[in-house]
Amino acid sequence: MKKVCHVIVFALTILLGSLAGVKAQEQTEETGDVVLKATPYNKTALFTSSEEVRYRLQLHNNTKQQQNGRVLYQVTTDDGKKVTADSVQISLREGADKDIIVNISKRNTGFYRINFIVKLPEYDDTVRRVFGVNPEKVTSQLHKPKDFDAFWKQSKVELAQVPANYRVLERRDLSTQYKKVYSVEMHSFGDLVIRGWLVVPTDGNKFPVHYRVPGYVVSLQPNMDNDDFIAFDLNVRGNGNSKDVINIGTDNYSLINIENKDKYIYRGVYMDCLRGLDFLYSHSNLGIDTSKIFVEGGSQGGSLALVTAALDKRVKLLTMQVPLYADIHDNFAISASYEQQVFPFKVFRKYQSQHAGFSWEKFYSTFDYYDPQNFAPMVKCPVLMGIGLLDQFCPPRCSMALYNHISSANKEFVCVPNSTHEVNFNYFMFQNLWLREKFRMP
Amino acid sequence: MRKTVTTSLYTCLFFVLIAPLTTFAGFPIGKYRNIVVPTFSYYRQTDRFDDKDHVIKGTPGTSFTSYSSNLFIGYGISRKLDFIATIPYLYQQNIVAPGYKLVDAGLGDAVVGFSYNLVNSNFVRFFSIGVSAIVPMYNIHDGPSPLGLSAYGSEVKLMYCGNLPKDVSTKGYFNLEFAYRRYYNTQGPDQISLLGTVGCPVSKYDQLSLDILLYRSFSSNKEFNSNVFAAHDYSFFKPQLNYGHTFTRRFSAFVGGFYVPFGVNTGVGYGGSLLGVIKI
Repeated sequence: MKKVCHVIVFALTILLGSLAGVKAQEQTEETGDVVLKATPYNKTALFTSSEEVRYRLQLHNNTKQQQNGRVLYQVTTDDGKKVTADSVQISLREGADKDIIVNISKRNTGFYRINFIVKLPEYDDTVRRVFGVNPEKVTSQLHKPKDFDAFWKQSKVELAQVPANYRVLERRDLSTQYKKVYSVEMHSFGDLVIRGWLVVPTDGNKFPVHYRVPGYVVSLQPNMDNDDFIAFDLNVRGNGNSKDVINIGTDNYSLINIENKDKYIYRGVYMDCLRGLDFLYSHSNLGIDTSKIFVEGGSQGGSLALVTAALDKRVKLLTMQVPLYADIHDNFAISASYEQQVFPFKVFRKYQSQHAGFSWEKFYSTFDYYDPQNFAPMVKCPVLMGIGLLDQFCPPRCSMALYNHISSANKEFVCVPNSTHEVNFNYFMFQNLWLREKFRMP
Repeated sequence: MRKTVTTSLYTCLFFVLIAPLTTFAGFPIGKYRNIVVPTFSYYRQTDRFDDKDHVIKGTPGTSFTSYSSNLFIGYGISRKLDFIATIPYLYQQNIVAPGYKLVDAGLGDAVVGFSYNLVNSNFVRFFSIGVSAIVPMYNIHDGPSPLGLSAYGSEVKLMYCGNLPKDVSTKGYFNLEFAYRRYYNTQGPDQISLLGTVGCPVSKYDQLSLDILLYRSFSSNKEFNSNVFAAHDYSFFKPQLNYGHTFTRRFSAFVGGFYVPFGVNTGVGYGGSLLGVIKI
């Protein structure tokens, strides 16, 4: 008996050891002459205005010689205004480690860039990070046109006048033993044909729906990874297999008819998303549980999801990641401070510079009808949002401003501190649990 | 013979109380989600281990058999906190001599408590603590009962579970539990247990799992006694192999068999169980 006990305890120790080993393997290996790792004391890099912002810097000398130099840190606002800076002298022996604690005095609500710079006689390196203070108190001005509601009401009326003429085709070539794949087609705003993919699990009669809308000129394919939901992936006009009329590259897609609010590409795109909902509601015979539809998307898809939930109360849950175009006015100001322009203002600025009569006032006279932030107060359902603090496409301040304008009291956000224009695996694991909780799914 | 009955009862009780939990123990149930697990178990022994780990053959024609049903209820109070309760019902046949059978039936020791998820690692692995009270569901004032230890008790359990390392298995899971249980009686007992479970799907709807259980019960009273509640000091090692099938998203069933190959002051038990996991 004792021998058996020893064997079992030994086996369990090995198992625990292997699990610890896995954890160790998940650490990112870093290379360089002197490696600097910056870790915020608050795991999410979000602080309150009543606490100091604190980072732990871990330095490691990878070289075979003594390294003398300085570590500098510079804090600016997210639109580039200098806040504070300081430096620390370092002296590292060959292979030595050193920890430095950086304390930054209490900050006001907002997001801040912090750069840690290793300066050695023959080596420079910069680690760029962003931290937030009181993110749920971030505010922004709504630039909502007076006729905003009427504009979208009229858009919905015009959509309703277009017969959908749904076509649903079972794709046996794409289906599996466990999933039935349908290609679906419908007519949408302006009588354009849009298409999508419906994937229905075969082991049940009725399922909640994961309605996914696409990122910027992204081609959505049948989603075969969702066992507990019907997956409906809609390619809005100009995306994926919905390019019959609009087939244009990423550089120009967001510029189509930008000088005319009535004809701007996103008017039809937003209506396409609602037409997708119409499709789901008219096809409960395929096992669709219309009482449990959640809409989801990332980047442009995040904004489309939000707009869908705002304009159509048939959406029961909203999940979005890094919503593109949010708080477009502040995004403009923040992006002005970038060393290199990135989407979307890279495209808008280029267009503006090439069209003499196209002022920023003109731009906003169109885009204010499409800024997702202006739709946020209309969202009443539970919301989950994910943001990346290093995101320059959708700066965290803009995402949080949008989030804070959402009317629903049942909302949560997940902050991924070291992500750029994306969230991480952890977020999606949480999203899965969140959906099950909200839909009371087993 | 009474010792055999005692140790059988302990083993049986342990099996009834612990086995259903292994199906999901350590995994937070989750807010607004509830789990009900009815279990039907069969346990039988004819031989026993003595205090030197030697097998003592039982008298021909004698045996101890238990049929038990058990109801586990788990209620997700929050994302981290679950309420858990286990209520056993026992039916025992003890043939102490050929033609002489003792039968006992009734509710056993209920276990009621809470489980709290202390740490989750990327929602892939979970470290939790459980604290429970043990409440006899029978009359404890009329002396020892064959249905339990006739004493209130408490249990603290640490649980670590989640996906197996990917280089071991891409789809498997594990569960480790260390529990300490104390009965508030002059002679205790104090009990510790270590449970390891490894499970692996063999198809989309089927899985196999192996439980390895080490159990040790300590008491100042180490003397063998025919009174079922006099022997408080024993230990055993029990492997159990289970097969599970998912019928629907809300209902799964597991069937398993076990054998006790090593033990001290306990029965050479064998048996099986059938349990359903109902997610509400």
